[in-house]
Amino acid sequence: MTSTAATPPAKPQSYRTNVEIDWCPGCGDFGILNALVLALQEMKIPNEDVVLTGGIGCSSKIPHYVNVNTLHTLHGRSLVQAQAVKMANPRLEVISASGDGDGLGIGSAHFVAAGRRNVDLTYILFNNGVYGLTKGQASPTLPYGEMPKSIETENLKFPVNPLFLGLASGFTFVARSYSYNIKHLKETLIRAMKHRGLALVDVMQPCVTYNNINTKEFYDPRLYDIEKEGWNPVASNEEEYKQKLPQAVAKSMEWGDRIPMGVFIDYQTETYDQKLQKLVPDYGKKNYVMEPIDSAGKPLNDITKLMESFC
Amino acid sequence: MMHDLNLMVAGPQGSGINFTSDSFAKLMTREGYQVFTNAELFSTIKGEHSYFRVRVCKDMIRSYSERIDILIPLDSKSVMLHAKELSKDGSIIYEENLDDARHAAIPYKDILQTVATRFGKALSEFNVMKNTIALAGATKMIGIDKEKLKKIISENFASRQKIAEMNNAIVDEVYAEFKPSKTFDLEPVTYKKRMLINSTHAVGMGKMVAGLKFQSYYPITPASDESNYLETIMDKYDFVVEQTEDEIAAINMAIAAANTGLRAATSTSGPGFSLMVEALSYAGMTETPVVIFFYQRAGPATGMPTRHEQGDLKYALSAGHGEFPRVLIAPGDHKEAFYDTVEAFNIAEKYQLPVIVLLDKAMAMSNYTVDLFDLSKTRIDRGKLILKETKDYLRYRFTDDGISPRSVPGVKGGLVTIAGDEHDEDGHIFTEDADNRIKMMDKRMNKTSSILNEVPADMKVKFYGNPENKKVIVSWGSAKGPILDAMEVVKDVSLLQIRMMEPFPVEEVMKYLNGKTIIDVEQNYSGQLADLLREKTGLEAISRIVKFNGRPIAFEEMVQVLGKQKLGKREVLSYD
Repeated sequence: MTSTAATPPAKPQSYRTNVEIDWCPGCGDFGILNALVLALQEMKIPNEDVVLTGGIGCSSKIPHYVNVNTLHTLHGRSLVQAQAVKMANPRLEVISASGDGDGLGIGSAHFVAAGRRNVDLTYILFNNGVYGLTKGQASPTLPYGEMPKSIETENLKFPVNPLFLGLASGFTFVARSYSYNIKHLKETLIRAMKHRGLALVDVMQPCVTYNNINTKEFYDPRLYDIEKEGWNPVASNEEEYKQKLPQAVAKSMEWGDRIPMGVFIDYQTETYDQKLQKLVPDYGKKNYVMEPIDSAGKPLNDITKLMESFC
Repeated sequence: MMHDLNLMVAGPQGSGINFTSDSFAKLMTREGYQVFTNAELFSTIKGEHSYFRVRVCKDMIRSYSERIDILIPLDSKSVMLHAKELSKDGSIIYEENLDDARHAAIPYKDILQTVATRFGKALSEFNVMKNTIALAGATKMIGIDKEKLKKIISENFASRQKIAEMNNAIVDEVYAEFKPSKTFDLEPVTYKKRMLINSTHAVGMGKMVAGLKFQSYYPITPASDESNYLETIMDKYDFVVEQTEDEIAAINMAIAAANTGLRAATSTSGPGFSLMVEALSYAGMTETPVVIFFYQRAGPATGMPTRHEQGDLKYALSAGHGEFPRVLIAPGDHKEAFYDTVEAFNIAEKYQLPVIVLLDKAMAMSNYTVDLFDLSKTRIDRGKLILKETKDYLRYRFTDDGISPRSVPGVKGGLVTIAGDEHDEDGHIFTEDADNRIKMMDKRMNKTSSILNEVPADMKVKFYGNPENKKVIVSWGSAKGPILDAMEVVKDVSLLQIRMMEPFPVEEVMKYLNGKTIIDVEQNYSGQLADLLREKTGLEAISRIVKFNGRPIAFEEMVQVLGKQKLGKREVLSYD
């Protein structure tokens, strides 16, 4: 029997909670947690101004380990809830965590639609090729024909390429990093958070329990940094973006002896809050959350004109 | 003198039938009459047969009539289909000369040619304005000042000045040339200012009073009319309407916005609600104050998207896996839809749970006159919302009433941890402790007893008619309208309208129904409210009067069935 007592509160300014982590020893998720905490420490955003959402799955438990506001949502709904949080209160720093099954299987409609909006938030995809929490079934990113030890038959489906899909859907910052390269991952997360617009960080994150193919030993010799090899992902205008996008797509398709990581595209364009101002001119000027809607219980909105319009 | 007048405009979808009926309804509203409309549309954009009814009376009316006094058919099929409904003294306004003095044959072509020539245009460009001829013919027969009709036409085409001028020239021509052999003399009325609205407008205005800041939706008939109305006013009331990729996103966005501290809602119909069900359960578990506006239409599956039904009561009551508290409110008219909308947000925030407001197609598409809302009767209660710095905060803290203080992101010291897994007081999920589970289930489920104690009686049920009557109808939602109208003729029966179905107000229902002869009236196949009544109280309706052909109940068929000497266990209404 476990204790019913609430978990002791985390120390102020700390970005880690005191909640015990239940990931498997050696899990790639630890690297992402550590990099995220380091990134938040470096950016010094007050804890109460950060919101972290998760879906369902091993990776989506990360909200419980980070001492910020957290929404542990439903399977596949991490990104969609994160967008609404940011729309509701654009002053918040919003981060959404999701596994590859959560984000690209059950949540793929939201992934595509999110690219069309370009809400200013950071989406971290924990990519390990399997559904860990349900004992290792094939996920949408598992390569065709592969058969990790957790599944009984080879994978008959072609994989989704998160980078390619992110670029095609309109994510304005698309990057790949690696959970065993904390320094690169931390820097990438900081760049993603600083980016104004929707950022995708696809993290290669080995599942040590179920995926015996895409392991640390698999990734270590293959991953290379495209930016160190001369790729400049920054597109400073629409013309440059159109010119760089196909090149970024081509890079995103590399897979084999060499696997690219780094930032593929970084394009600053209209974010969703700016677009909303076209329809709601005052959007974002007042804080919807803190703005009162009543005065001692009396509604502040006056609908007299609306009623008149029907007379 | 006529007590009430019934006009029907019928024709192919897209031929201007709704413009014609809307203009007529507006005109009569401005004359001070009470107006009730019924729209029967085919689920298509153009071509299929559709019809609109407009009923006008100096007294309150809440249903449509089977009788037609003026029929405006915009094609020959409409004559074939609806001439049989024409009253003994009724008139058809039609292009061809029907060689019958009581009908109003107007030389459509001559009028269009005259006006076209005046504007220097081809006749073909004016064919779409045939409906204006018929409309002007009708208003002339009723004796309405043509300038009032022209004003409405000008308002309708405010952004297309030329179109307005052409239509108004047609009105002048009809009033000059058309000499009806028959007129309709409505009983005069004392003017009173009223709105001509449907429930999507009432809900929309209710949401503004409630301080709604976030509405999400995915297009679906008939619910999206409400969101589309909100889109027209979001610039003035400073809030967001978000059209999402699907209903799963719609409800998840509303939930997240609510958990961020906004008053948030989503609106949908049956198929969309089905996609929202997992998240409804999540809202129950996470104690999220989200409000779902559910406009029923004829199901199952895609069913008849533009037709009416009250078939989703049991579904809305039980949807969602696991057990969690919810509130279900069913307004019975536009006025209730407005006030209930405001209260729905109060209940959601006060008790921190999902609230479903159950409406239907008849309410969404039937415009009728409503007195201006009394805003002094509205109030806002945000419950235990915390927006200022706090400390030692726990989102799911155990309290005496089971309701925890509710902080939101951005509040210093009030970090929020929300989780759909079973959780501790702090929202973390790593306990599957048996004692904690019992305490958390009790915390959530016990809210229903507070709601039953605290919600005002008239939010739960409303009683109409003579309390001494032995026979009491039990009903809900828009079926109330035809029942109340029929009760003015059939005096030996009363009505108990059930307005809150969850938690079910057993005490109030027993007070009015115990020892009575209960007659159930519903617009579904099986009589779902009668089943619920039996489950909750053990009371059994002696008869279930149902209608499920996709059309609302007409006044006359309601009178007829209630007047029967002996009601069968099941009475099926079928007027269309």
